[in-house]
Amino acid sequence: MSYGTPARAALLAAGLGLAISSAAAAGTYDLTVDYVTIDTGDFTRTGIGYNGASTPPVLRFAEGEEVTINVTNNLDVDTSVHWHGLILPYRQDGVPKISYPGIRPGETFTYRFPIVQGGTYWFHSHSGFQEPDGAFGALILEPKAREKYRYDRDYVVQLTDAHPHRGDRIMRNLKMMPDYYNRQQRTLLDLIGDASEKGLGAALSDRADWGGMRMMPTDIEDLQGFTPLINGKGPEQNWTGLFEPGERIRLRFINSSAMTFFDIRIPGLKMTVVQADGNDVLPVPVDELRIAVAETYDVIVRPREDRAFTIFAESMGRTAFARGTLAPRAGMEAEVWELRAPPLLTMADMALDPAMAGMDHGAMMMEGDAASGHGAMMKDADLPPGAHRMPDGSIMGGPGEDPFYAAGSGVTPEPAMKHGRFLSYKDLKAADPLYPDREATREIELRLTGNMERYIWSINGVKYADAEPIRLQYGERVRFKFVNETMMTHPMHLHGMWTIIDNGTGERDPIKHTVSIAPGTVVYTETEVDAPGQWAFHCHLSYHAESGMFRKVIVEGGPTTDRAALAPASGG
Amino acid sequence: MFLLKTIPALAAAALLATTLPAAAVGEHGQGGGAGKPGKASQVTRTIAVTMYDNYYEPEAITLKEGETVRFVITNKGALVHEFNIGTPEAHVAHAPEMQMMVDHGVLEPDRINRDMAKQMQASMGHGMHDAPNSVLLEPGGTGEIIWTFPEHAELEFACNVPGHYDAGMAGEITLSH
Repeated sequence: MSYGTPARAALLAAGLGLAISSAAAAGTYDLTVDYVTIDTGDFTRTGIGYNGASTPPVLRFAEGEEVTINVTNNLDVDTSVHWHGLILPYRQDGVPKISYPGIRPGETFTYRFPIVQGGTYWFHSHSGFQEPDGAFGALILEPKAREKYRYDRDYVVQLTDAHPHRGDRIMRNLKMMPDYYNRQQRTLLDLIGDASEKGLGAALSDRADWGGMRMMPTDIEDLQGFTPLINGKGPEQNWTGLFEPGERIRLRFINSSAMTFFDIRIPGLKMTVVQADGNDVLPVPVDELRIAVAETYDVIVRPREDRAFTIFAESMGRTAFARGTLAPRAGMEAEVWELRAPPLLTMADMALDPAMAGMDHGAMMMEGDAASGHGAMMKDADLPPGAHRMPDGSIMGGPGEDPFYAAGSGVTPEPAMKHGRFLSYKDLKAADPLYPDREATREIELRLTGNMERYIWSINGVKYADAEPIRLQYGERVRFKFVNETMMTHPMHLHGMWTIIDNGTGERDPIKHTVSIAPGTVVYTETEVDAPGQWAFHCHLSYHAESGMFRKVIVEGGPTTDRAALAPASGG
Repeated sequence: MFLLKTIPALAAAALLATTLPAAAVGEHGQGGGAGKPGKASQVTRTIAVTMYDNYYEPEAITLKEGETVRFVITNKGALVHEFNIGTPEAHVAHAPEMQMMVDHGVLEPDRINRDMAKQMQASMGHGMHDAPNSVLLEPGGTGEIIWTFPEHAELEFACNVPGHYDAGMAGEITLSH
């Protein structure tokens, strides 16, 4: 078994989704890290890729396999490969200065670790801005046990936000002028429009508040001007997956963007979500889902008609879209939609007073409240499927509101289709809980903070360079309280250990590696501290992580900790 | 009629035709010529079906047209599952009813909440009831169906617990001549 199969667009694991029965006991794989030419259809630039190709590779391993991966650095700077979401010894985790020193130009580093899980994951460079520059690929881990869903076709759909500027240049520009890449500046005309809607006083007062935050209602994407790609192909280049009508297709969505969240739908097809961040969930049929940076979602779709369907992924700020196609024959196309109107952040997203976060924002609600679907205002004819009015006037059933967004938030997902079902974290229920549900042993509060004017992002007001590591004890179950005091959404990623999102389902709380924290919300997660060593913990927006929303986590104790080895790795 | 809005027109018409006066939740798509409840004395064979998460063994069944079959169904999964005989259209039409049971707390992932079912019955005038073409089983549960198949029909056995059918928990029933 060797790497190199051009698996991305090919028919994979046809049949029942059975694990490969001859699960290799050991496999050796080679990856080279190279400068490559990236052609998005909109622009061409030099970027970074693997094995000489700009198309991100797909590595396929089997649960139970001992993998050996030789990574050769052909760049003229250091590189690294981080196996995102994989449970492995910390020295194999691929984060320079935390796991190991990194890989120098011309060197080959050999990773060796066992594959102890199944599912869809990805890998990327953890050095500088190599990941935004193209250094990522997909990981498919074939599970040992039979899967809980079946499919005839299997495609990776890996998204990114390719930018004409190199990552280090983007960082410089953002530091110099935080709204450098915000093309949706509000104008005097917008102010006049606001004033006619809610009165000049309120409009001016809004303006003053926004100014005080050094932010604008359009600050949903602080990096614009990118071309979204699916599997290395721009919207015009139209990545296509083939099917025979009636077949079930597994799509493995992976968001490898530097900064961009996507709202994904395939008009004409229900998507049944069967896995999130590599862990199976109870299947949920939806019409649309939002994928945060670094997350993965696996869905099953079943096109019965002999026609093409568009995979349409709009950026959350509606500045660009990725587009691909599912079709019975190559070259077929389906309709490509217009971007929906860009959302605007509201005062609910501002959460000026942290104590307000997650509380009733009704009094502050300014925009977007009519759309959030409060029951009292809803006519019976507008009730979504599955919902009905109870004798007391309340509404039972149906999708309801999404508690993972502040009430009245401008970024609350709104389905494109009337009565469409939009996936929420509250819908995710673990199919195979990995740990018994138990009381957390302690709580750690992490306020997500920032100074937009200087483009510094931080945790508890302290940026990484000035921060002490977070120390956890092996064997404890820590409850993290995330309080998002900024106006941006932060996908927080803890390396090495699972993040169990408290969505109120108790023992079936979903198990993820990345949790997206919307503005003005408080989200709780729990982690069983079961992996000794030291790990990275950060916002996965590349420019937020680099500017300080990052921590080192040290797990003390445990059966195999090589404590003496911790210091040198951290010093590098 | 709230229920009818959620069901495709054809299936709703079939439901109305067979279930007046009340459109009860859980008619389980008997419209569409799937066959009829059979008599024990006419049973020509017994087929054991095991339900797992989220698939059946066997995955497909071949029968003779007009045959009367006893299905003995066991749920060896960790989740609630259904064994339901119907046309693909009937399964699709049945899905919103099952979703409603989830939304009302009647159908939990690994158990059937009978208290909530009574509340749903009281508040909405309809709830769960047995249908001869299906069984809904908690983990570890067993059930039985005796069913007489028609001469010609496109039929599937399927689990309409939300998401399960879409995830692939369905099998073809082929009627041979």
